[in-house]
Amino acid sequence: MALKTTPDPQTAAEPSMAEADRVLTGGTPPIVIPDQAGDDPILAEFGMEEHPQGGFHGLLEVIPTRADIVLDLIRANSLWPLLSGLSCCAIEMMSTATSKNDIDRFGMFPFRASPRQADVLIVAGTLTTKMAGPLVRLWEQMPEPKWCVAMGTCTTSGGRFKRSYSVVQGVDRVMPVDVYVPGCPPRPEGLIYGMMKLQELVKQRRGEWSTYVDRGVQRIDWEGDVR
Amino acid sequence: MTSEVKIPDPLDLDLDEEARLRRVAGLPAAKTPAGEYAGFESVGLPERPPQTEREREVYTLEEGEMLVNMGPQHPSTHGVMRLVVKVRGEVVTDVDPVLGYLHRGIEKLCEEATYTTVLTYVDPMDYLSTMHNEHAPAIAFEKLFGVTAPPRAEYIRALVVELNRVFSHSLMMGFLALDMGGITPILYGFINRDEIVDMLSAISGQRMLFNFFRVGGVNWDTNDEFLSRLGTWRDHVLKNVEMSERVLTDNEVFRSRTIGMGTLSGRDAIALGVSGPNLRASGVPFDVRKAHPYSIYPELEFEVITQSGGDSNARYLQRIAEINQSIHLIDQIVDKMPHGAVQAQVPGIIRPKPGRAYAAIESPRGLYSVYAISDGGPNPYRFRMRDPSFISLQAIPKLMPGRLIADTMAVMASFDPVMGGVDK
Amino acid sequence: MTAPAKAGALVRLLLDRFPDLAAGLWTDEDTVEVTIEGERNVALLQVLRDDPELNFFFLADAAAVDYGPTERFEVVYHLYSDRHPAWLRVRARVNRADPHIPTLTDLWEGAMFHEREMFDMMGIVFDGNRDLRRIYMSPDYRSFPQRKDFLLPDDAADSSAAGVRPLERPETWDLTRLSDELAPGVVAHAEAEAEAKP
Ligand code: SF4
Repeated sequence: MALKTTPDPQTAAEPSMAEADRVLTGGTPPIVIPDQAGDDPILAEFGMEEHPQGGFHGLLEVIPTRADIVLDLIRANSLWPLLSGLSCCAIEMMSTATSKNDIDRFGMFPFRASPRQADVLIVAGTLTTKMAGPLVRLWEQMPEPKWCVAMGTCTTSGGRFKRSYSVVQGVDRVMPVDVYVPGCPPRPEGLIYGMMKLQELVKQRRGEWSTYVDRGVQRIDWEGDVR
Repeated sequence: MTSEVKIPDPLDLDLDEEARLRRVAGLPAAKTPAGEYAGFESVGLPERPPQTEREREVYTLEEGEMLVNMGPQHPSTHGVMRLVVKVRGEVVTDVDPVLGYLHRGIEKLCEEATYTTVLTYVDPMDYLSTMHNEHAPAIAFEKLFGVTAPPRAEYIRALVVELNRVFSHSLMMGFLALDMGGITPILYGFINRDEIVDMLSAISGQRMLFNFFRVGGVNWDTNDEFLSRLGTWRDHVLKNVEMSERVLTDNEVFRSRTIGMGTLSGRDAIALGVSGPNLRASGVPFDVRKAHPYSIYPELEFEVITQSGGDSNARYLQRIAEINQSIHLIDQIVDKMPHGAVQAQVPGIIRPKPGRAYAAIESPRGLYSVYAISDGGPNPYRFRMRDPSFISLQAIPKLMPGRLIADTMAVMASFDPVMGGVDK
Repeated sequence: MTAPAKAGALVRLLLDRFPDLAAGLWTDEDTVEVTIEGERNVALLQVLRDDPELNFFFLADAAAVDYGPTERFEVVYHLYSDRHPAWLRVRARVNRADPHIPTLTDLWEGAMFHEREMFDMMGIVFDGNRDLRRIYMSPDYRSFPQRKDFLLPDDAADSSAAGVRPLERPETWDLTRLSDELAPGVVAHAEAEAEAKP
């Protein structure tokens, strides 16, 4: 897949042809698809013509790719977190979403109140044994593909309450976690950085779902004592 | 027709599921001396009726009634709180708050922490008034240990505590509006809050859970960044407050959803243990800063503000009045601040003599008090915190019957509970 | 203000009303403390609340304290009055083997959550309370976490120091608990230090 083509030195030497292309395609250089020679009737229908140097050029730019990759690009840039704060970290999470830090700039704003509309579960705050069940249920209600961000030391390891009788020592004991954001609480910048790491993760996945499904199975296997 | 229905708890796990989750979570991690898991073995269970009278009352449905579950994950329960609401049509007939979804066992952990580290454990309690959380234990431990903080430290304490009150109240205005569907005030509230938190993190080195107080003083003296931020903030804070007030106070929707809603008389409020701005909004002039003056409050000039309404609107107006009062106090504190040390001489590990101390302060949510018992060791023998929002929540089941279900959250938000403090 | 000035009038008034409280009376700079048997709590607190001269109308706090498996429980009430510049602390003793005490919910409705919390955390039963069930832990939880015989897990228990946390309880340092193979270095260091001392 070529998102950007470098101008052919030969084409650059012939200004008339390059000029014509620029006019035709509205300023962008033509997309050259070298290995798809021949007159494709479908491409012709979209106004694509054979290029003298091979490949096609024309009105419509065509990027041959897999739909999954495009979908992941879209997903990565419109992450919808679940509006679910457990405790103190939730206030910093809200601060991340409001005017000063404004996570909206990075394409992850609309905090959804319903798990069925959300992509990302930001576990912000201490997870207690009493809350573990409802939180797992929320996670299971979210449609695939979904991601989990553990925000704060409480959710990564139990943090300052690690020894308590009622605190789960890290949210990864009950659900898979994609990004851990340490700090007590993490600064809003820290959460933004973690979410951008998550975006990278989503884009890097490139439509590969297999590892993700495997992890889901693994969680069910965790019946035994993990200590 | 009365039918007795045993309602299965929809969100609590059944025992097997809970046992599984605990095992997965490595819990219960508590061991008795014999090595038994204390979580599952009884250590002396008193006889307990299977259902209490009140529980039976709530979960018994009459003709036409149904139960609605709100929470623990609900966009406006201010954290993980669950209300089981019994409704007839749209009208609430009973409310049963189910707490404990954020119970972190802070009191128990404090019994095993040194006196200095207790001040870090109390931070996440009421996470919108962190400075207040540290203030009461600091006073109690100073009483136990017999030290007094230097005057400058007391002034800095009062300064940060009042700053904290301002942002806590301005967030309350925002959350109240948010629960009625208005988004703008919360953005104003967070602008104010972020400014103050930046200021306080300049003096304490940490955002939000500041961990600024020490036994016998405070961690740092004021610095240039703090003071310059304070000056900038002071220049425009009144304008900011007025801006967010203008959105709400005369707003017709806001007024019709708050005036006459959740009216609590002063007598009931006292009986229920409601304190702080919520109590003063019912006309009872009880403010710990005046009633049992602590820190430097005897040296400052202020009056106890009260409202007469006792409804949601009065509680909201009370918050605004207190923001202005706090700003007035901050001006006085900055004017009077003496020079000198900010920390008394105390050893690294404090071992007070055996004794008891009680310290109460006025937090943004009311009377926050600490009762500490020392047995002469390096950690408190018993450390008890009374959180105001925990006690104030009892007013909800009293106020809601007869109201619409949509008002439940709006009335609850006017009490401004913070679940970290409620559940400890 | 000195301690007697704050508490003096209140102490005199209390001893006037209840001469038998003198035995357990104690004051510090802003608190007056009395100790009673558990069964007496309602009778005493009702007078404290309703007597116009005492007027302790606000229940500031109610907490339970565990004085160890061989000792007793105490339910500690803190009261506020606008007539007196001191807190009043009432310590009510409860038998630890059979922890029962009358409820205060008839005097102050707001004692309800306090009592539910004490029941949940300490297992004290408040007779007459209409809603005594667990408030923090889930209903099937079976132990009482704030009792002194409920011990928290100790990470150090798995370590070579065998459960001793040197920073927090130095007085429990017991070198015999450290076997040589587990912590030879620690023992050697401690011995060397002991020798070095005169
Ligand atoms: S990590 Fe810190 S700020 Fe976050 S929930 Fe835990 S205690 Fe609160």
